[in-house]
Amino acid sequence: MEISWLQAAILGLFACLSSMPGLGGTSFGNYTLGRPLIGGLVCGVVLGDIQSGILVGIAMQLVYIALVTPGGTVSADVRAVSYIGIPLAMIALKSYGLDAASLDGQSLAASFGTMVGTLGTVLFYGTATINLVWQHIGWKSVEDGDLSKLNIVNYVLPWISHIICSFIPVLIMCKMGAPMVDLIKEYLPMDGLAMKTLFTVGSLLPCVGIAILLKQIVVKASDFVMFFLGFTLAASLGINLVSATVIAGTFAIINYRIKMVMITKKASGSIDVDDEEDI
Amino acid sequence: MNKKISKKTLTKSFHKWYYGNLTCFSQEHMQTFGYLCAMLPIVEELYDTKEEQLKAIHTYTAFFNTEPQLGAVIVGITAGLEEARAAGTEDVDDEAINGLRAGLMGPIAGIGDSLVVGTVIPILLGIAMGMSTGGSPLGAIFYIIVWNLFAYFGMRFIFNKGYDLGGKAVEFLVGEKGEAIRESITMLGAIVIGAVAASWVSVKTAFTMTAAGAEEPFLVLQDTFDSVYPGFLSAGVIVFCWYLLAKKKISPLKVMLLLVVIAFIGVLIGFFDPNLQY
Repeated sequence: MEISWLQAAILGLFACLSSMPGLGGTSFGNYTLGRPLIGGLVCGVVLGDIQSGILVGIAMQLVYIALVTPGGTVSADVRAVSYIGIPLAMIALKSYGLDAASLDGQSLAASFGTMVGTLGTVLFYGTATINLVWQHIGWKSVEDGDLSKLNIVNYVLPWISHIICSFIPVLIMCKMGAPMVDLIKEYLPMDGLAMKTLFTVGSLLPCVGIAILLKQIVVKASDFVMFFLGFTLAASLGINLVSATVIAGTFAIINYRIKMVMITKKASGSIDVDDEEDI
Repeated sequence: MNKKISKKTLTKSFHKWYYGNLTCFSQEHMQTFGYLCAMLPIVEELYDTKEEQLKAIHTYTAFFNTEPQLGAVIVGITAGLEEARAAGTEDVDDEAINGLRAGLMGPIAGIGDSLVVGTVIPILLGIAMGMSTGGSPLGAIFYIIVWNLFAYFGMRFIFNKGYDLGGKAVEFLVGEKGEAIRESITMLGAIVIGAVAASWVSVKTAFTMTAAGAEEPFLVLQDTFDSVYPGFLSAGVIVFCWYLLAKKKISPLKVMLLLVVIAFIGVLIGFFDPNLQY
Protein backbone atom coordinates (compact mmCIF):
# COMPACT_ATOMS: atom_id res chain seq x y z
CA MET A 1 0.00 0.00 0.00
CA GLU A 2 1.47 3.33 -1.09
CA ILE A 3 0.62 6.70 0.38
CA SER A 4 0.63 9.50 -2.19
CA TRP A 5 2.13 12.94 -1.52
CA LEU A 6 -1.34 14.43 -1.42
CA GLN A 7 -2.59 11.89 1.11
CA ALA A 8 0.52 12.38 3.24
CA ALA A 9 0.05 16.17 3.10
CA ILE A 10 -3.59 15.91 4.24
CA LEU A 11 -2.52 13.73 7.16
CA GLY A 12 0.20 16.28 7.92
CA LEU A 13 -2.39 19.03 8.10
CA PHE A 14 -4.49 16.99 10.52
CA ALA A 15 -1.38 16.46 12.63
CA CYS A 16 -0.98 20.26 12.90
CA LEU A 17 -4.58 20.58 14.08
CA SER A 18 -4.66 17.67 16.47
CA SER A 19 -1.60 17.87 18.64
CA MET A 20 -1.35 19.11 22.19
CA PRO A 21 -0.61 22.31 21.79
CA GLY A 22 -2.51 22.10 18.51
CA LEU A 23 -4.06 24.49 16.08
CA GLY A 24 -7.51 22.94 16.16
CA GLY A 25 -7.95 24.17 19.73
CA THR A 26 -7.97 21.95 22.79
CA SER A 27 -11.46 20.49 22.59
CA PHE A 28 -11.78 20.01 18.85
CA GLY A 29 -8.10 19.56 18.03
CA ASN A 30 -6.43 17.60 20.79
CA TYR A 31 -9.46 15.93 22.38
CA THR A 32 -11.31 15.16 19.15
CA LEU A 33 -9.03 14.91 16.12
CA GLY A 34 -6.11 13.76 18.26
CA ARG A 35 -7.91 10.76 19.75
CA PRO A 36 -6.74 7.63 17.91
CA LEU A 37 -10.33 6.47 17.29
CA ILE A 38 -11.06 9.70 15.39
CA GLY A 39 -7.58 9.62 13.83
CA GLY A 40 -8.47 6.15 12.59
CA LEU A 41 -11.57 7.53 10.88
CA VAL A 42 -9.61 10.38 9.29
CA CYS A 43 -6.77 8.09 8.14
CA GLY A 44 -9.33 5.59 6.88
CA VAL A 45 -11.13 8.23 4.82
CA VAL A 46 -7.90 9.71 3.44
CA LEU A 47 -6.32 6.36 2.62
CA GLY A 48 -9.52 4.85 1.29
CA ASP A 49 -10.08 2.06 3.83
CA ILE A 50 -12.37 3.29 6.57
CA GLN A 51 -12.88 -0.11 8.15
CA SER A 52 -9.17 -0.83 8.70
CA GLY A 53 -8.61 2.74 9.82
CA ILE A 54 -11.27 2.50 12.53
CA LEU A 55 -10.07 -0.93 13.68
CA VAL A 56 -6.46 0.21 13.95
CA GLY A 57 -7.70 3.37 15.68
CA ILE A 58 -9.57 1.30 18.28
CA ALA A 59 -6.47 -0.80 18.98
CA MET A 60 -4.40 2.32 19.64
CA GLN A 61 -7.18 4.17 21.43
CA LEU A 62 -7.11 1.53 24.14
CA VAL A 63 -3.46 2.14 24.91
CA TYR A 64 -4.07 5.88 25.05
CA ILE A 65 -7.54 5.92 26.59
CA ALA A 66 -6.20 7.81 29.59
CA LEU A 67 -3.91 10.27 27.90
CA VAL A 68 -3.96 13.00 30.52
CA THR A 69 -1.21 15.59 30.36
CA PRO A 70 -0.94 16.91 33.90
CA GLY A 71 0.99 20.17 33.98
CA GLY A 72 1.90 19.86 30.32
CA THR A 73 4.08 16.77 30.57
CA VAL A 74 3.34 14.15 27.97
CA SER A 75 4.22 10.49 27.79
CA ALA A 76 3.08 10.16 24.21
CA ASP A 77 2.21 12.55 21.44
CA VAL A 78 -1.25 12.20 19.89
CA ARG A 79 -0.28 13.64 16.53
CA ALA A 80 2.39 10.95 16.19
CA VAL A 81 0.08 8.17 17.42
CA SER A 82 -2.86 9.16 15.24
CA TYR A 83 -1.27 10.49 12.07
CA ILE A 84 2.02 8.60 11.86
CA GLY A 85 1.27 5.44 13.87
CA ILE A 86 -2.12 4.65 12.33
CA PRO A 87 -1.08 5.05 8.65
CA LEU A 88 2.09 2.99 9.26
CA ALA A 89 0.14 0.31 11.10
CA MET A 90 -2.35 0.18 8.23
CA ILE A 91 0.52 -0.28 5.77
CA ALA A 92 2.06 -2.96 7.96
CA LEU A 93 -1.22 -4.87 8.25
CA LYS A 94 -1.68 -4.80 4.48
CA SER A 95 1.90 -5.84 3.93
CA TYR A 96 1.72 -8.75 6.36
CA GLY A 97 -1.68 -9.70 5.04
CA LEU A 98 -3.28 -9.50 8.48
CA ASP A 99 -6.93 -8.76 9.12
CA ALA A 100 -7.30 -5.55 11.16
CA ALA A 101 -10.23 -7.10 13.02
CA SER A 102 -8.23 -10.11 14.19
CA LEU A 103 -6.49 -10.25 17.54
CA ASP A 104 -3.11 -10.38 15.80
CA GLY A 105 -3.92 -7.32 13.73
CA GLN A 106 -4.99 -5.38 16.84
CA SER A 107 -1.81 -6.41 18.67
CA LEU A 108 0.43 -5.34 15.81
CA ALA A 109 -1.36 -2.00 15.57
CA ALA A 110 -1.04 -1.36 19.32
CA SER A 111 2.68 -2.16 19.38
CA PHE A 112 3.30 -0.03 16.35
CA GLY A 113 1.34 2.94 17.58
CA THR A 114 2.92 2.90 21.02
CA MET A 115 6.41 2.83 19.57
CA VAL A 116 5.67 5.78 17.29
CA GLY A 117 3.77 7.64 20.01
CA THR A 118 6.61 7.37 22.47
CA LEU A 119 9.13 8.59 19.92
CA GLY A 120 6.66 11.35 19.04
CA THR A 121 7.14 13.15 22.35
CA VAL A 122 10.14 14.72 20.62
CA LEU A 123 7.65 16.55 18.40
CA PHE A 124 5.77 17.89 21.43
CA TYR A 125 8.88 19.34 23.01
CA GLY A 126 10.00 20.67 19.62
CA THR A 127 6.74 22.57 19.10
CA ALA A 128 6.72 23.96 22.62
CA THR A 129 10.32 25.12 22.26
CA ILE A 130 9.79 26.90 18.94
CA ASN A 131 6.71 28.59 20.45
CA LEU A 132 9.06 30.25 22.92
CA VAL A 133 10.36 32.38 20.06
CA TRP A 134 6.85 33.64 19.24
CA GLN A 135 6.14 34.27 22.90
CA HIS A 136 9.31 36.31 23.10
CA ILE A 137 7.95 38.51 20.32
CA GLY A 138 4.69 38.76 22.26
CA TRP A 139 6.37 39.84 25.50
CA LYS A 140 8.34 42.45 23.70
CA SER A 141 5.27 43.95 22.08
CA VAL A 142 3.41 44.10 25.41
CA GLU A 143 6.36 45.86 26.98
CA ASP A 144 6.49 48.29 24.08
CA GLY A 145 2.82 49.03 24.61
CA ASP A 146 1.62 47.40 21.41
CA LEU A 147 -1.21 44.97 22.09
CA SER A 148 -2.16 44.36 18.48
CA LYS A 149 0.55 41.74 17.99
CA LEU A 150 -0.79 39.45 20.74
CA ASN A 151 -3.36 37.82 18.47
CA ILE A 152 -0.80 37.12 15.77
CA VAL A 153 1.50 35.55 18.35
CA ASN A 154 -1.18 33.31 19.77
CA TYR A 155 -3.08 32.31 16.64
CA VAL A 156 -0.87 32.71 13.57
CA LEU A 157 2.83 32.26 14.32
CA PRO A 158 2.45 28.79 15.93
CA TRP A 159 1.63 27.53 12.43
CA ILE A 160 5.34 27.82 11.70
CA SER A 161 6.14 25.60 14.69
CA HIS A 162 3.66 23.07 13.38
CA ILE A 163 4.93 23.07 9.82
CA ILE A 164 8.33 22.15 11.22
CA CYS A 165 7.26 19.76 13.97
CA SER A 166 3.99 18.28 12.68
CA PHE A 167 3.55 18.67 8.94
CA ILE A 168 7.03 17.75 7.71
CA PRO A 169 7.60 14.76 10.06
CA VAL A 170 4.21 13.26 9.13
CA LEU A 171 4.86 13.84 5.43
CA ILE A 172 8.24 12.11 5.57
CA MET A 173 7.18 9.23 7.81
CA CYS A 174 4.09 8.44 5.73
CA LYS A 175 6.10 8.46 2.51
CA MET A 176 8.89 6.34 3.96
CA GLY A 177 6.50 4.00 5.72
CA ALA A 178 5.97 1.41 2.99
CA PRO A 179 9.67 0.75 2.21
CA MET A 180 10.40 0.69 5.94
CA VAL A 181 7.72 -1.90 6.65
CA ASP A 182 9.06 -4.04 3.79
CA LEU A 183 12.50 -3.86 5.31
CA ILE A 184 11.24 -4.92 8.73
CA LYS A 185 9.30 -7.75 7.12
CA GLU A 186 12.39 -9.01 5.36
CA TYR A 187 14.53 -9.11 8.48
CA LEU A 188 11.96 -10.19 11.04
CA PRO A 189 9.98 -13.27 10.02
CA MET A 190 6.52 -13.69 11.52
CA ASP A 191 7.29 -16.91 13.39
CA GLY A 192 10.50 -15.51 14.88
CA LEU A 193 10.99 -14.58 18.49
CA ALA A 194 11.09 -10.81 17.82
CA MET A 195 7.72 -10.76 16.07
CA LYS A 196 6.09 -13.01 18.65
CA THR A 197 7.32 -10.67 21.37
CA LEU A 198 6.09 -7.64 19.46
CA PHE A 199 2.60 -9.12 19.15
CA THR A 200 2.51 -10.22 22.77
CA VAL A 201 3.55 -6.73 23.87
CA GLY A 202 0.73 -5.38 21.72
CA SER A 203 -1.81 -7.42 23.65
CA LEU A 204 -0.34 -6.36 27.01
CA LEU A 205 -0.04 -2.62 26.30
CA PRO A 206 -3.74 -1.72 26.63
CA CYS A 207 -3.45 -2.87 30.26
CA VAL A 208 -1.20 0.11 30.93
CA GLY A 209 -3.78 2.48 29.42
CA ILE A 210 -6.54 1.09 31.62
CA ALA A 211 -4.22 1.09 34.65
CA ILE A 212 -3.42 4.79 34.20
CA LEU A 213 -7.14 5.50 34.29
CA LEU A 214 -7.58 3.33 37.36
CA LYS A 215 -4.80 5.22 39.09
CA GLN A 216 -7.00 8.32 38.85
CA ILE A 217 -10.27 6.68 39.72
CA VAL A 218 -9.30 4.27 42.47
CA VAL A 219 -8.84 6.16 45.70
CA LYS A 220 -10.03 3.51 48.09
CA ALA A 221 -10.35 -0.26 47.80
CA SER A 222 -14.11 -0.13 47.25
CA ASP A 223 -13.54 1.75 43.99
CA PHE A 224 -11.99 -1.44 42.66
CA VAL A 225 -15.29 -3.21 43.29
CA MET A 226 -16.95 -0.84 40.81
CA PHE A 227 -14.26 -1.53 38.23
CA PHE A 228 -14.76 -5.28 38.63
CA LEU A 229 -18.52 -4.86 38.47
CA GLY A 230 -18.07 -3.38 35.01
CA PHE A 231 -15.51 -6.03 34.10
CA THR A 232 -17.86 -8.81 35.17
CA LEU A 233 -20.82 -7.30 33.31
CA ALA A 234 -18.87 -7.41 30.06
CA ALA A 235 -16.64 -10.47 30.51
CA SER A 236 -18.99 -12.89 32.27
CA LEU A 237 -22.43 -11.64 31.28
CA GLY A 238 -21.50 -10.41 27.80
CA ILE A 239 -23.25 -7.06 28.24
CA ASN A 240 -22.16 -4.48 25.66
CA LEU A 241 -20.72 -1.06 26.45
CA VAL A 242 -23.82 1.05 25.93
CA SER A 243 -25.86 -1.22 28.21
CA ALA A 244 -23.06 -1.28 30.76
CA THR A 245 -23.13 2.54 30.76
CA VAL A 246 -26.85 2.51 31.53
CA ILE A 247 -26.26 0.19 34.49
CA ALA A 248 -23.33 2.34 35.60
CA GLY A 249 -25.52 5.44 35.37
CA THR A 250 -28.10 3.82 37.64
CA PHE A 251 -25.48 3.15 40.28
CA ALA A 252 -24.17 6.70 39.94
CA ILE A 253 -27.61 8.22 40.49
CA ILE A 254 -28.24 6.04 43.55
CA ASN A 255 -24.86 7.07 44.93
CA TYR A 256 -25.62 10.75 44.29
CA ARG A 257 -28.98 10.54 46.08
CA ILE A 258 -27.40 8.86 49.11
CA LYS A 259 -24.67 11.50 49.25
CA MET A 260 -27.23 14.31 49.04
CA VAL A 261 -29.29 12.80 51.83
CA MET A 262 -26.15 12.68 53.94
CA ILE A 263 -25.37 16.33 53.19
CA THR A 264 -28.86 17.60 54.04
CA LYS A 265 -28.88 15.48 57.20
CA LYS A 266 -25.59 16.92 58.29
CA ALA A 267 -26.88 20.42 57.64
CA SER A 268 -30.16 19.90 59.50
CA GLY A 269 -28.78 19.81 62.99
CA SER A 270 -27.00 17.95 65.72
CA ILE A 271 -29.51 15.12 66.21
CA ASP A 272 -27.75 12.99 63.65
CA VAL A 273 -24.41 13.51 65.27
CA ASP A 274 -25.85 12.03 68.46
CA ASP A 275 -27.08 9.06 66.48
CA GLU A 276 -23.63 8.38 65.19
CA GLU A 277 -22.22 8.50 68.68
CA ASP A 278 -24.66 5.84 69.82
CA ILE A 279 -23.25 3.51 67.23
CA MET B 1 -17.05 55.58 34.70
CA ASN B 2 -19.23 52.55 35.20
CA LYS B 3 -19.02 50.36 32.15
CA LYS B 4 -20.43 46.91 31.70
CA ILE B 5 -19.00 44.34 29.37
CA SER B 6 -21.34 43.83 26.43
CA LYS B 7 -22.68 40.36 25.63
CA LYS B 8 -20.88 40.45 22.32
CA THR B 9 -17.50 41.11 23.88
CA LEU B 10 -18.01 38.37 26.45
CA THR B 11 -18.79 35.89 23.69
CA LYS B 12 -15.75 37.03 21.76
CA SER B 13 -13.56 36.60 24.81
CA PHE B 14 -14.99 33.12 25.36
CA HIS B 15 -14.34 32.07 21.76
CA LYS B 16 -10.78 33.30 21.96
CA TRP B 17 -10.25 31.13 25.04
CA TYR B 18 -12.18 28.16 23.65
CA TYR B 19 -10.00 28.05 20.56
CA GLY B 20 -6.76 29.61 21.65
CA ASN B 21 -6.04 28.40 25.19
CA LEU B 22 -3.17 26.20 24.07
CA THR B 23 -2.32 27.30 20.54
CA CYS B 24 0.89 29.05 21.55
CA PHE B 25 1.95 26.70 24.33
CA SER B 26 5.45 26.56 25.69
CA GLN B 27 6.87 24.86 28.74
CA GLU B 28 7.77 28.24 30.17
CA HIS B 29 4.55 30.23 29.86
CA MET B 30 2.03 27.47 29.12
CA GLN B 31 -1.44 29.06 28.76
CA THR B 32 -0.43 32.62 29.56
CA PHE B 33 -0.76 33.85 25.97
CA GLY B 34 -4.13 32.22 25.49
CA TYR B 35 -5.27 34.06 28.60
CA LEU B 36 -3.89 37.39 27.42
CA CYS B 37 -5.72 37.06 24.11
CA ALA B 38 -8.98 36.11 25.81
CA MET B 39 -8.80 39.15 28.10
CA LEU B 40 -7.83 41.53 25.30
CA PRO B 41 -11.33 42.30 23.98
CA ILE B 42 -12.61 42.82 27.52
CA VAL B 43 -9.82 45.18 28.47
CA GLU B 44 -10.19 47.10 25.22
CA GLU B 45 -13.87 47.64 25.85
CA LEU B 46 -13.59 48.60 29.52
CA TYR B 47 -10.77 51.10 29.23
CA ASP B 48 -10.62 54.01 26.82
CA THR B 49 -7.02 55.09 26.98
CA LYS B 50 -4.09 53.04 25.79
CA GLU B 51 -2.28 53.45 29.12
CA GLU B 52 -5.17 52.03 31.13
CA GLN B 53 -5.51 49.13 28.73
CA LEU B 54 -1.83 48.31 29.02
CA LYS B 55 -1.92 48.54 32.78
CA ALA B 56 -4.92 46.21 32.94
CA ILE B 57 -3.57 43.63 30.51
CA HIS B 58 -0.34 43.56 32.45
CA THR B 59 -2.15 41.76 35.27
CA TYR B 60 -2.59 38.77 33.03
CA THR B 61 1.05 38.39 32.07
CA ALA B 62 1.45 36.30 35.24
CA PHE B 63 1.98 32.60 34.60
CA PHE B 64 -1.18 30.60 34.01
CA ASN B 65 -1.80 26.90 33.49
CA THR B 66 -4.78 24.72 34.32
CA GLU B 67 -7.10 22.22 32.66
CA PRO B 68 -8.22 24.63 29.94
CA GLN B 69 -11.76 23.33 29.49
CA LEU B 70 -12.86 23.54 33.08
CA GLY B 71 -10.50 26.51 33.35
CA ALA B 72 -12.98 28.59 31.31
CA VAL B 73 -14.67 29.29 34.63
CA ILE B 74 -11.55 31.15 35.81
CA VAL B 75 -11.49 33.31 32.68
CA GLY B 76 -15.15 34.11 33.29
CA ILE B 77 -14.48 35.08 36.89
CA THR B 78 -11.63 37.40 35.95
CA ALA B 79 -13.83 39.03 33.29
CA GLY B 80 -16.24 39.90 36.09
CA LEU B 81 -13.41 41.11 38.33
CA GLU B 82 -11.97 43.28 35.58
CA GLU B 83 -15.37 44.88 35.17
CA ALA B 84 -15.44 45.59 38.91
CA ARG B 85 -11.95 47.03 38.80
CA ALA B 86 -12.84 49.32 35.90
CA ALA B 87 -15.83 50.53 37.88
CA GLY B 88 -13.46 51.49 40.68
CA THR B 89 -14.48 48.86 43.23
CA GLU B 90 -12.13 48.83 46.15
CA ASP B 91 -9.95 45.82 46.91
CA VAL B 92 -10.01 44.63 43.32
CA ASP B 93 -6.46 45.18 42.19
CA ASP B 94 -3.62 43.33 40.49
CA GLU B 95 -2.90 41.33 43.58
CA ALA B 96 -6.48 40.27 44.22
CA ILE B 97 -7.02 39.12 40.63
CA ASN B 98 -3.76 37.23 40.41
CA GLY B 99 -4.17 35.75 43.87
CA LEU B 100 -7.50 34.34 42.79
CA ARG B 101 -6.11 33.05 39.50
CA ALA B 102 -3.15 31.38 41.15
CA GLY B 103 -5.32 29.93 43.88
CA LEU B 104 -7.84 28.45 41.48
CA MET B 105 -5.66 27.01 38.75
CA GLY B 106 -4.40 24.15 40.90
CA PRO B 107 -7.74 22.78 42.14
CA ILE B 108 -9.43 23.37 38.78
CA ALA B 109 -6.61 21.50 37.02
CA GLY B 110 -7.00 18.62 39.46
CA ILE B 111 -10.77 18.37 39.03
CA GLY B 112 -10.60 18.97 35.28
CA ASP B 113 -7.93 16.37 34.65
CA SER B 114 -9.64 13.67 36.66
CA LEU B 115 -13.24 14.51 35.80
CA VAL B 116 -13.20 15.76 32.20
CA VAL B 117 -10.09 14.18 30.71
CA GLY B 118 -9.88 11.18 33.02
CA THR B 119 -13.56 10.24 33.22
CA VAL B 120 -15.93 11.90 30.75
CA ILE B 121 -13.70 11.47 27.70
CA PRO B 122 -12.83 7.80 28.42
CA ILE B 123 -16.53 7.00 29.02
CA LEU B 124 -17.49 8.59 25.69
CA LEU B 125 -14.59 6.87 23.94
CA GLY B 126 -15.56 3.56 25.54
CA ILE B 127 -19.11 3.84 24.23
CA ALA B 128 -17.81 5.02 20.85
CA MET B 129 -15.44 2.06 20.56
CA GLY B 130 -18.34 -0.23 21.37
CA MET B 131 -20.37 1.32 18.55
CA SER B 132 -17.41 1.05 16.17
CA THR B 133 -16.84 -2.66 16.73
CA GLY B 134 -16.09 -4.33 13.44
CA GLY B 135 -14.84 -1.11 11.88
CA SER B 136 -18.01 0.94 11.60
CA PRO B 137 -17.41 4.72 11.57
CA LEU B 138 -20.58 5.21 13.64
CA GLY B 139 -18.79 5.32 17.00
CA ALA B 140 -16.19 7.83 15.84
CA ILE B 141 -18.92 10.11 14.48
CA PHE B 142 -20.90 9.71 17.71
CA TYR B 143 -17.85 10.81 19.71
CA ILE B 144 -17.14 13.81 17.47
CA ILE B 145 -20.69 15.11 17.82
CA VAL B 146 -21.41 14.35 21.48
CA TRP B 147 -18.03 15.39 22.85
CA ASN B 148 -17.86 18.66 20.94
CA LEU B 149 -21.40 19.71 21.85
CA PHE B 150 -20.64 18.86 25.47
CA ALA B 151 -17.29 20.67 25.46
CA TYR B 152 -18.50 23.81 23.68
CA PHE B 153 -21.73 24.37 25.57
CA GLY B 154 -20.28 23.13 28.84
CA MET B 155 -17.37 25.55 28.64
CA ARG B 156 -19.64 28.36 27.57
CA PHE B 157 -21.94 27.66 30.49
CA ILE B 158 -19.20 27.70 33.12
CA PHE B 159 -17.56 30.75 31.53
CA ASN B 160 -20.79 32.69 31.87
CA LYS B 161 -21.41 31.29 35.35
CA GLY B 162 -17.95 32.49 36.32
CA TYR B 163 -18.74 35.98 35.04
CA ASP B 164 -22.16 36.11 36.73
CA LEU B 165 -21.30 34.59 40.07
CA GLY B 166 -17.62 35.36 40.50
CA GLY B 167 -15.97 33.29 43.18
CA LYS B 168 -19.28 31.57 44.02
CA ALA B 169 -19.12 29.70 40.71
CA VAL B 170 -16.23 27.67 42.03
CA GLU B 171 -18.03 26.73 45.22
CA PHE B 172 -20.43 24.82 43.02
CA LEU B 173 -17.50 22.80 41.72
CA VAL B 174 -15.49 22.26 44.88
CA GLY B 175 -18.27 22.33 47.48
CA GLU B 176 -20.08 19.39 49.06
CA LYS B 177 -22.67 19.10 46.33
CA GLY B 178 -19.99 19.28 43.68
CA GLU B 179 -18.10 16.55 45.45
CA ALA B 180 -21.18 14.31 45.51
CA ILE B 181 -21.62 14.82 41.77
CA ARG B 182 -17.96 14.19 41.10
CA GLU B 183 -17.89 11.05 43.19
CA SER B 184 -20.94 9.69 41.38
CA ILE B 185 -19.47 10.42 37.96
CA THR B 186 -16.22 8.74 39.00
CA MET B 187 -18.26 5.71 40.05
CA LEU B 188 -19.92 5.64 36.65
CA GLY B 189 -16.47 5.94 35.11
CA ALA B 190 -15.08 3.02 37.11
CA ILE B 191 -17.87 0.69 35.98
CA VAL B 192 -17.62 1.73 32.32
CA ILE B 193 -13.83 1.41 32.34
CA GLY B 194 -14.24 -2.09 33.75
CA ALA B 195 -16.54 -2.94 30.86
CA VAL B 196 -14.14 -1.34 28.37
CA ALA B 197 -11.28 -3.40 29.81
CA ALA B 198 -13.23 -6.64 29.59
CA SER B 199 -14.44 -5.93 26.05
CA TRP B 200 -11.14 -4.89 24.52
CA VAL B 201 -8.19 -6.13 26.53
CA SER B 202 -7.30 -9.68 25.70
CA VAL B 203 -4.34 -11.25 27.43
CA LYS B 204 -4.26 -14.97 26.77
CA THR B 205 -1.82 -17.71 27.62
CA ALA B 206 -0.85 -20.57 25.33
CA PHE B 207 0.44 -22.67 28.22
CA THR B 208 -0.62 -26.32 28.19
CA MET B 209 0.55 -29.50 29.86
CA THR B 210 0.27 -32.80 28.12
CA ALA B 211 0.89 -36.13 29.85
CA ALA B 212 3.45 -38.36 28.18
CA GLY B 213 1.84 -40.30 25.34
CA ALA B 214 -1.52 -38.53 25.60
CA GLU B 215 -2.98 -36.72 22.61
CA GLU B 216 -5.00 -34.11 24.46
CA PRO B 217 -3.34 -31.85 27.01
CA PHE B 218 -4.65 -32.41 30.54
CA LEU B 219 -4.18 -28.78 31.43
CA VAL B 220 -5.09 -25.88 29.19
CA LEU B 221 -4.27 -22.98 31.47
CA GLN B 222 -6.41 -20.47 29.59
CA ASP B 223 -9.51 -22.65 29.99
CA THR B 224 -8.79 -23.10 33.69
CA PHE B 225 -8.51 -19.34 34.13
CA ASP B 226 -11.73 -18.77 32.22
CA SER B 227 -13.59 -21.22 34.39
CA VAL B 228 -12.44 -19.39 37.53
CA TYR B 229 -13.22 -15.88 36.28
CA PRO B 230 -13.62 -14.91 32.63
CA GLY B 231 -10.88 -12.48 31.67
CA PHE B 232 -8.82 -13.47 34.72
CA LEU B 233 -5.47 -12.90 33.03
CA SER B 234 -6.44 -9.55 31.50
CA ALA B 235 -7.73 -8.30 34.84
CA GLY B 236 -4.61 -9.62 36.56
CA VAL B 237 -2.23 -7.76 34.28
CA ILE B 238 -4.29 -4.56 34.63
CA VAL B 239 -4.18 -4.73 38.43
CA PHE B 240 -0.46 -5.51 38.24
CA CYS B 241 0.12 -2.40 36.08
CA TRP B 242 -2.03 -0.32 38.43
CA TYR B 243 0.04 -1.57 41.37
CA LEU B 244 3.28 -0.54 39.65
CA LEU B 245 1.92 2.87 38.62
CA ALA B 246 0.00 3.87 41.72
CA LYS B 247 1.76 2.04 44.54
CA LYS B 248 5.34 1.78 43.28
CA LYS B 249 5.18 5.17 41.48
CA ILE B 250 6.81 3.80 38.35
CA SER B 251 6.35 5.90 35.20
CA PRO B 252 4.06 4.58 32.44
CA LEU B 253 6.98 4.38 30.03
CA LYS B 254 8.97 2.15 32.38
CA VAL B 255 5.92 -0.06 32.96
CA MET B 256 5.63 -0.45 29.19
CA LEU B 257 9.31 -1.42 28.97
CA LEU B 258 8.80 -3.94 31.75
CA LEU B 259 5.92 -5.43 29.75
CA VAL B 260 8.27 -5.85 26.80
CA VAL B 261 10.61 -7.85 29.04
CA ILE B 262 7.73 -9.92 30.41
CA ALA B 263 6.44 -10.55 26.89
CA PHE B 264 9.90 -11.65 25.75
CA ILE B 265 10.38 -14.09 28.63
CA GLY B 266 6.79 -15.27 28.26
CA VAL B 267 7.31 -16.07 24.59
CA LEU B 268 10.61 -17.84 25.38
CA ILE B 269 9.07 -20.21 27.91
CA GLY B 270 5.92 -20.70 25.86
CA PHE B 271 3.54 -18.89 28.19
CA PHE B 272 2.62 -16.48 25.42
CA ASP B 273 2.31 -17.54 21.81
CA PRO B 274 0.36 -15.37 19.40
CA ASN B 275 0.25 -18.29 16.91
CA LEU B 276 1.38 -16.23 13.99
CA GLN B 277 1.45 -17.42 10.45
CA TYR B 278 1.48 -15.87 7.05
